Amino acid sequence: MTEKEITGIVVTHGNLGEELLKTVRLIVGEIHDCYALSGSDLGDEKVIESIHDILKAHHAGRAVIFVDYFGGSCGASCVRATRYLDDVKVISGVNLPMLLDFVTKQGIMGLDEIVDHLIHRGQESVRVIEI
Amino acid sequence: MVILFRIDDRLIHAQVVVGWGRRLKPDRIILADDQVSSEDWERELYASAAGPDFKAAILSLSDAVEQIGGGVFDSEKVFLLVRGPAEALEMLEKGLEAKEINVGGLHFREGREKITENVWVDGKERGLLRDIAKRGITLEARALPGDAKSTINSKVV
Repeated sequence: MTEKEITGIVVTHGNLGEELLKTVRLIVGEIHDCYALSGSDLGDEKVIESIHDILKAHHAGRAVIFVDYFGGSCGASCVRATRYLDDVKVISGVNLPMLLDFVTKQGIMGLDEIVDHLIHRGQESVRVIEI
Repeated sequence: MVILFRIDDRLIHAQVVVGWGRRLKPDRIILADDQVSSEDWERELYASAAGPDFKAAILSLSDAVEQIGGGVFDSEKVFLLVRGPAEALEMLEKGLEAKEINVGGLHFREGREKITENVWVDGKERGLLRDIAKRGITLEARALPGDAKSTINSKVV
């Protein structure tokens, strides 16, 4: 039996999260258990409530929350929302390669393993392109 | 020296650190807040948000007034942040001097009415802003330093 997929929530300023997920769909097709929230349109309490709603509605045990900016209000809300949830990790600095790897590996990797992998993937994809 | 006294319910966040910080280049961000300063976890969260470019101090309202008034930060350019009009007024009543307050972010919440795109207040908050305005302090409502400067004193009386 395979484990239930890890849920992904992208919480960003503006519509960045929704647009990132749209772009992911464009590249890989239909995706599962991934949601976007605009933190800058919602207050802190509303972001926290929305995260809890998503986790509850989908009986998500394990989840990765992606935020766009370390030190931003969205990140602070996410850290606050998950303070007592051991199986939910918050990663900052979301980029497209990270999300592409998430959606293709969310059903096959464990939580700690996928978090390590995504951070590595996100970082190594920032580089000077020289041929 | 306080170069920006700002009311922002998101406290230390991207708009403050990047939007204002990279323009005015303060040496330090002071978050004056009784709630945050009294809890290690909260203090750590907001201190980390200031990032590597600025020193951060997270103080109670009383300690902030005392230390700023006592000259502790005289040699530094300082951003002073509070979460709402009540905290700003309390600091003024405790003796903090100010000519202008940037009402930069009081975001939409149930029961708040719109004053500008980024400033929403309920009746109580409007009254508190009025009390601040009565002290002869200019309330200006830019979210970011490049926005057109708009004074909201007339909108809170």
